[in-house]
Amino acid sequence: MLELTILIPLLAGGLIMFVPVQLGRKIMIATGLIHLLLSIATIINGTGPCMSRYFTATPEGLLILLVTSFIFFFISIYAVSYLQETEISSEPIYLGCTMLFLSSMSMVALADHLVVLWIAIEATTLMSAPLIFLHRSRTALEATWKYVMICSVGIALALLGCFLIVLSMDLGGVDVPITFSSLGQVAEQLDPTWLKAGFIFLIIGYGTKMGLAPMHTWLPDAHSEAPSPASALLSGALLNCAFLGVYRGHQLLHQAGLGDFSGNILMSFGLLSMIIAAIFIFDQTGYKRMLAYSSIENMGIIAFGVGVGGLATYGAMLHLIHHSLIKSSLFLSAGNILLGYGSKLIEKTGNMAKLFPKTFTAFFAGFAGISGFPPFGIFISEVLIIMGAFQQGRTLPALIFILALIFIFAGASRLVMKMSFGKFTDDILVEEKLIRVLPSYALLLTSFVLCLWLPDSLYETILSAIATVGGSING
Amino acid sequence: MTQITSILLALTLLSVLLSLGSNRLVSLVKIMTFQGIIVSLIPLTLLIQEHHGKIGAGNLLIFQAMVIIKGALIPWFLFMALKKVKMRREIEPIIGYHASTFAGLLFILISALIAHRFQINLHDKEVLLLITAMSTLAAGLFLIMSRKKAITQVIGYLMMENGIYLMGSALAKQTHTQYVVEFGVLLDILVAIMIMGVVLHNINSTYDGVDTDELDSLHDLDSNRSLFHRLKG
Repeated sequence: MLELTILIPLLAGGLIMFVPVQLGRKIMIATGLIHLLLSIATIINGTGPCMSRYFTATPEGLLILLVTSFIFFFISIYAVSYLQETEISSEPIYLGCTMLFLSSMSMVALADHLVVLWIAIEATTLMSAPLIFLHRSRTALEATWKYVMICSVGIALALLGCFLIVLSMDLGGVDVPITFSSLGQVAEQLDPTWLKAGFIFLIIGYGTKMGLAPMHTWLPDAHSEAPSPASALLSGALLNCAFLGVYRGHQLLHQAGLGDFSGNILMSFGLLSMIIAAIFIFDQTGYKRMLAYSSIENMGIIAFGVGVGGLATYGAMLHLIHHSLIKSSLFLSAGNILLGYGSKLIEKTGNMAKLFPKTFTAFFAGFAGISGFPPFGIFISEVLIIMGAFQQGRTLPALIFILALIFIFAGASRLVMKMSFGKFTDDILVEEKLIRVLPSYALLLTSFVLCLWLPDSLYETILSAIATVGGSING
Repeated sequence: MTQITSILLALTLLSVLLSLGSNRLVSLVKIMTFQGIIVSLIPLTLLIQEHHGKIGAGNLLIFQAMVIIKGALIPWFLFMALKKVKMRREIEPIIGYHASTFAGLLFILISALIAHRFQINLHDKEVLLLITAMSTLAAGLFLIMSRKKAITQVIGYLMMENGIYLMGSALAKQTHTQYVVEFGVLLDILVAIMIMGVVLHNINSTYDGVDTDELDSLHDLDSNRSLFHRLKG
């Protein structure tokens, strides 16, 4: 049953390339809705997959599946209106590739087999490359080339990591299917040295895709060159999927009793990403690049939280949900800004508060949310991660964490202030429309509501997801 | 059979060094064809060695497919791409050809040291297999980083793939080598090449030349307004 979340977008994606664009847009929204309903039903009922040799319904996988399909639905509503304004010649390619992209991301979320997970993550690269190249400009080409090249090298190293894990199985003398669930049961018999080596290659490989520094170099280019709905999907959904690959590896090491080792690696990558983001966000010239660096920062926060363990793991999972919601909302607003001013450069924008009041509200609220201001969920998740870090006695990393957050807020707020209240004398190109700001509002509102009221089934899912790496709400 | 494996491995190392030193793209593709065939034969000889000449038809079929993919299909794609972009040689590599060859020798040395140092238990396979795998992998990464032409980078990626393929056969037990062969490469190489081919095609039709050096207009900072200037005020 659960495989329907992979199959439906796959079939719809194939179909959509051959039907008229008008119909294609409707199919995209309908598929998004069906996918969302399926994932909600799975979270509540807990139905398993049919092909249990390759797929499984893990709590963390279901969580990421739900987040992915939730933001996909709102982004698809936005995309219809956005594409009408931009008049992209290759719209069937956009529609088809987003559907196939959704299908491959669902496959990542459900994969249990090491190689299936790897194939699915590689498929997400291939399916999203045409989205980045949609405008066919020279810079889009450069971004796509970097994306495909760097991520393919990363994915090749991840395959090497899979080999090493298989080797640790051979040396430990166990013969089980190469799935995370069955490896987890015999984790203590695996050869620890090669398991560690395998994890290092996995985190380098999938970490490249996730945007962890120093393998993040593709991310700002790809996010700024892709059309805004695609950027929102990349940032809000794809990065989570890559994180799932890293998380599965961490789980395996934790079950093998090597959780400290992988936790420390995750923590260092996380802190490094935050520091790099803090340095580069300071003097960005483009607002989409600024948001992309913020994504690197947030992926760093999630990796840090998972690495610290305990209460921070719960914070990291909350952070994952809220980052997806708020960041995709920000990228959608950035799409409106791009339509309005016709430039990705911050210096070509200004006075947004007067010219685009609705977009301004969404963008500014999103910025407040992503910086960790209280009405939105990132406030809670960051506080939990900091508390968790102090509880575990990680004082110095926690201080670096706080400092990086402050620097990022300082760097980004200067740019956002300039965009919102700076001078702007030229004419604006495209007026804002309600249909293009409503999805942003809806995503922000969800983040707000989830702070006040977390549904029980979602709460249970998060708790059982973090229990596998030794995290709990009680520290 | 052990000798044949050793010869094949030595030939692979030779092709790695040759590819690092060659400046003509056509000869580079020819070397990669040669390397592809050799590399896809190595697991077969290992298998024959293990089972003393008795291997199933299914295995043979898969190895045949590997030879066709690595030795015929991919070189064909590459030649087509070369024809399309009308490129003869890599004009200005970031690191020169002599230095690259020297770096290749260094990779072999370092791989030998690592293989010796770690005393890896290789289920009675030769140490040379692991050395070759590691140096091919390193040389592939080196090619990606030290060359500017998009197509040379693709070739570097291919070489890295070959290295990983060898690594898989070196590390996995024979029962799993089969598995590695089935999954590891089939999908990845073919699809990567196709997609990159599409990208190459588009590079060509958008403007002349397939030089990734021209693909450097995306920067983090405005060069006129550096961080330093800003701090000065």
